[in-house]
Amino acid sequence: MHNQLDRLIWRRHRRLFLVIGGVTLLGCFMSTILSLHTLPSSATQLVSGNIQKWDMYSESYFSGYPYWLLAAYWIVGLLLMNQDLKDNFNQFLFSSGFSRRRVYWSKIKVAMGALLVIAILTIALEYGMVWAMKPADVGFHLAWPGVLTSWIVGWLTSIGLFSLTWFAALIVGQTGALIVTIVGFTLSLVGSSTISVNILRESGITLNAEQNTWFMAGSWLVAASILFVWGAALYNHLSLEHNGEYLLFPKLKVPVYIVFVVYVTSLSVWGTDGWSLVFWFLASTIFGYCWLWRPRLGEMFHRWRSRRG
Amino acid sequence: MTLQVTQLCKQINGRTIIEDISFQWAPGEIIGLVGRNGVGKTTLFRTMMNQYVADAGQVTVDGHDIVTTPAEQRRIFFLDVQYNFLDNYRLWELPEFYGDVYPQFDHQRYLTLLAQFKLDKNSQYRRLSKGMRALTNMILALTSNATYIILDEPFDGLDVIVRENIATMVIDEIADQEKGFLISSHDLNELDGLSDRVLLLKDTHLAHDYNLEDVRAKAKKLQLVFKDKQIPTVLKEHSQLIRVSGRVLVVVITDYTPAIDQQLKALQPVLFEELPLTLEDLFRANLAHDTGYQLMK
Repeated sequence: MHNQLDRLIWRRHRRLFLVIGGVTLLGCFMSTILSLHTLPSSATQLVSGNIQKWDMYSESYFSGYPYWLLAAYWIVGLLLMNQDLKDNFNQFLFSSGFSRRRVYWSKIKVAMGALLVIAILTIALEYGMVWAMKPADVGFHLAWPGVLTSWIVGWLTSIGLFSLTWFAALIVGQTGALIVTIVGFTLSLVGSSTISVNILRESGITLNAEQNTWFMAGSWLVAASILFVWGAALYNHLSLEHNGEYLLFPKLKVPVYIVFVVYVTSLSVWGTDGWSLVFWFLASTIFGYCWLWRPRLGEMFHRWRSRRG
Repeated sequence: MTLQVTQLCKQINGRTIIEDISFQWAPGEIIGLVGRNGVGKTTLFRTMMNQYVADAGQVTVDGHDIVTTPAEQRRIFFLDVQYNFLDNYRLWELPEFYGDVYPQFDHQRYLTLLAQFKLDKNSQYRRLSKGMRALTNMILALTSNATYIILDEPFDGLDVIVRENIATMVIDEIADQEKGFLISSHDLNELDGLSDRVLLLKDTHLAHDYNLEDVRAKAKKLQLVFKDKQIPTVLKEHSQLIRVSGRVLVVVITDYTPAIDQQLKALQPVLFEELPLTLEDLFRANLAHDTGYQLMK
């Protein structure tokens, strides 16, 4: 029965995996071609000495882990969960005789398998193209520290991004609002990672670039584990009458509101004065309320006016 | 072998939709579920199938709770007419999904029935007409070979030919007593001649569970003309007036006893004719007042 469920999930999402795989390979192909064509004629080495460090290697003409893969994981996490909700495949899954717990982990397993194949093919394509198409007089010398770090850290970051969009798509029931929410949150991560490094530094923990890279990778792993396990618990209680609502779990409304206000306020006021704190707190409180509760302001205004009149 | 629904409750946005629903269903039975539009028939099905998480109660198949033993769900077939995933698939692709879920799915019969009803297997489900979709749903239900088949308003908006096809398929399928059907409808005429038992859903509760054979055995529908223009007392006391046209009375007597028969014949009616009793007549006689059931004509 395990295989039947995996086959069912694969059948359902194979087109998605093929499209995402195709786009990722195409994107990687195009960007590698572009990098090789912009290589200055004076260049003698494609890869700098930084490849010897236990750090992610990403420089102008070559990156150890193609960034297209980050996007692929991010999108697959989002679509895998959202499509089943939007296309009513959840109705079928929940009546299919497979436990929800098994459905949830099977979806993750199938997605991880497909994405791993995409990752291997994309990395092989990038490395193969660079090796085969670089000018004859330009050296392409790799070293395990940079390559392994790029692969491991890149892969963990990808899984982290997958878990973010996967979890968001599990709790948010409106596709448009989901995209706005998750794009906003993903972009905000750039700021929050800088802030967390600063917080560490201020608390006396100074990390060099390599340590910082591995710290981030570890953080992604922990975050992904929490989100996957928490998601499994929520998925077990997903009741489809909330389809089409912003939050599929009404009990999460208040916690999400609190987290939103605290996160947006702290992210926006970092390193600024007290007035900014007041402004951002009020702005996020009002915006969060309107976003989550969607009050019908026009209707409220007309009701208020008719009462006055 | 039975499917048992026990004290099932579901609230949506703080409003109780179904409450304390209990009934038993065995293979070989065709049960009609009737109730007004919006009374919660589809919510009951969705809750039974664990698409909506029940607030209380359980559904068991041969004593196994389908939430704790989900494999038992494979003995129940329910295709949500409003929310299903079939739109983007071609008809030949559907058995791939259903075959993974229903171990007894009959792929060959599925293709045969598609051909029999002139449904092109290369058509996309969303491009089918309403009637074609209803037929496809029915074919999927039958070929799943699930023991318990739930059909939600299967006749809604269909022409008479498609309705007859579907009704015939249900009757043919029940012959070997290995399958049971639970068919919801807000139109009693659709269920007439099809159901053995009718459950009436009203105000979130299961108001009645009728065995139609028992009810029909006791009831009679009569067309009467009396010399006198007055409606006789025996009719006033024991019958439900269905129609009055001039001096012609059409009545349903739900508990027709020899005593009533004697009293009526003693009145020497000008016309005394027994008419075929329909489900609608029975409901008009039994339930029109005490349940507020409105006939959807």
